[in-house]
Amino acid sequence: MSMTRGKIANLLGWSLVALVLVFLYAPLVPPAINSFRDVGEGGLFANYAAILSDDRLMAAGRTSVIVGLLVALISPLLALLAAEAVRVWRIPRLVLGVILIPLFVPGISMGVATALFFQTLGISPSLLTITAVQVIWALPFGFLIILTVMANFDPIHREAAYMSGANRIQAFFEVELPQIHPGILGAAIFSLILSFNETIRTSVVQGGNNTVQTYLWSQYQQVGLSPNLHALMTILIVATLVLLALLAILDARQSRR
Amino acid sequence: MRSTLNSPRLARAVVLGAPLALIFILILGPLSITLVVSFWQKIGFSMRPAMSFENYAAFFSGTRLEVLLRSLWVGVCAAVVMLLLAYPIAYLIATRLRTALVRPVLFLFAVPFLVNYVVRTFSWSELLSRTGPVNTGLMAVGITERPLDWLLFSDFAVYLGLVTAYMPFMVFPIWLSLSGMDRRLVEASWMLGEGPLTTFRRVVLPLSMPGVVAAAIFGFVGAFGEVAVSLILGGTGYQLLGNTIQSALNTLDYPLAAAISSVATILMLALIVVWAQVFDLRLLLGKIMGRT
Repeated sequence: MSMTRGKIANLLGWSLVALVLVFLYAPLVPPAINSFRDVGEGGLFANYAAILSDDRLMAAGRTSVIVGLLVALISPLLALLAAEAVRVWRIPRLVLGVILIPLFVPGISMGVATALFFQTLGISPSLLTITAVQVIWALPFGFLIILTVMANFDPIHREAAYMSGANRIQAFFEVELPQIHPGILGAAIFSLILSFNETIRTSVVQGGNNTVQTYLWSQYQQVGLSPNLHALMTILIVATLVLLALLAILDARQSRR
Repeated sequence: MRSTLNSPRLARAVVLGAPLALIFILILGPLSITLVVSFWQKIGFSMRPAMSFENYAAFFSGTRLEVLLRSLWVGVCAAVVMLLLAYPIAYLIATRLRTALVRPVLFLFAVPFLVNYVVRTFSWSELLSRTGPVNTGLMAVGITERPLDWLLFSDFAVYLGLVTAYMPFMVFPIWLSLSGMDRRLVEASWMLGEGPLTTFRRVVLPLSMPGVVAAAIFGFVGAFGEVAVSLILGGTGYQLLGNTIQSALNTLDYPLAAAISSVATILMLALIVVWAQVFDLRLLLGKIMGRT
């Protein structure tokens, strides 16, 4: 009796999971469908081709790529050094507490704060300010990923390196890094994804620069969404999914080891 | 004594200390300056250092106060709805799933979270519109004769947007605290003769509270300070706190924007401090930080 009740509860539970997933994935579909509407004479991919001839959009695309790569480079590096500092100085609570703050501050507030900070320092809005606000946003995620892989690294390997005469730097680069580098790569891809998908924080510190996301956001507020913006959204979704697939492959390889 | 201050040690202090200092400056610097600017005065299109409470007075009165109260209410309700969904999901993943499937299923929840939520919110306005697929479908199967008006530009639409934007990420801290739980405690409760419901209420739920509250704060702050979901799905006049900040920015009123932001940040910090004081975080962080 209780067995069947348990089974029914399980079934209900997994139906809930499936239903929630339908709701979570449904919004990924409409942009792709809309991007193939109103194509007129230009063929099926007319809306995509229109992106290429839009100079402002192409400039925004370049900004997105440059900032994305910078964030993917800087954020894991800072996260790695911060994680190392946590271990050396044994101050996990303080560092974790500060790094996680941006997760819990409303996006627009963090944007306002960063804008005021750079304004006070006399630094005008640029790719640098956009990169800074996105690094701060990506850092908590990268930090947690790197802490997790470092926790899985058995310190005994490092001790063994010291005993065979390696100094700290050698032990790190020759013993620890080869073992934790998938985690660092994972943090980099994660940071790139977060950068590509950041809108609100960036929109406050962007100044005259646009990323693809802030361009979409301002176009929506000023004139509404045109068909080529649906094409743009589709590209963003697909790019995110491709990067996530890369992350999944990396993860599968790592756990098979 | 001299040898402890030798150059490798100094080099390490610089290599690790400088980036840490940079991180602290980039996070705490902006928040501190915002607090300072929140007491400044707006003069035309610029601002002047002052020690004035007029920005706070402007915030805690009239329409902005209404928006603040509504944001608090929406934030709490949305967080509750998100928890009611995220908890069972995290619980099933942590207790009813083969180990090999745990990561793939968690990954399924990470994917939509990582696709830009503004884009996802645009999609919802498309899906829920009068001529959108949801209304068309409902009319085709005869559930309704006319398009449902409350699907878009309504509380329903805003909650749907908020839940789908922030709930997926809330599964992770809850799962983390549930999977770090010592299963022997549950077995002990069973052996002492308690049924599954009592065991859940007295053992599992209390042990998972650090993750639950962390998730709740994350969802609350997200909904509370929202800009895009309320603008796109709430319709004209539907404002949450983020929209008030945005409209202060649109009139270049940085001191007011700073005051509102400071209130939001201080509220959040207070919640986090209470959370860290009340709960033993070793269980939640043990998995991340190892044995230290």
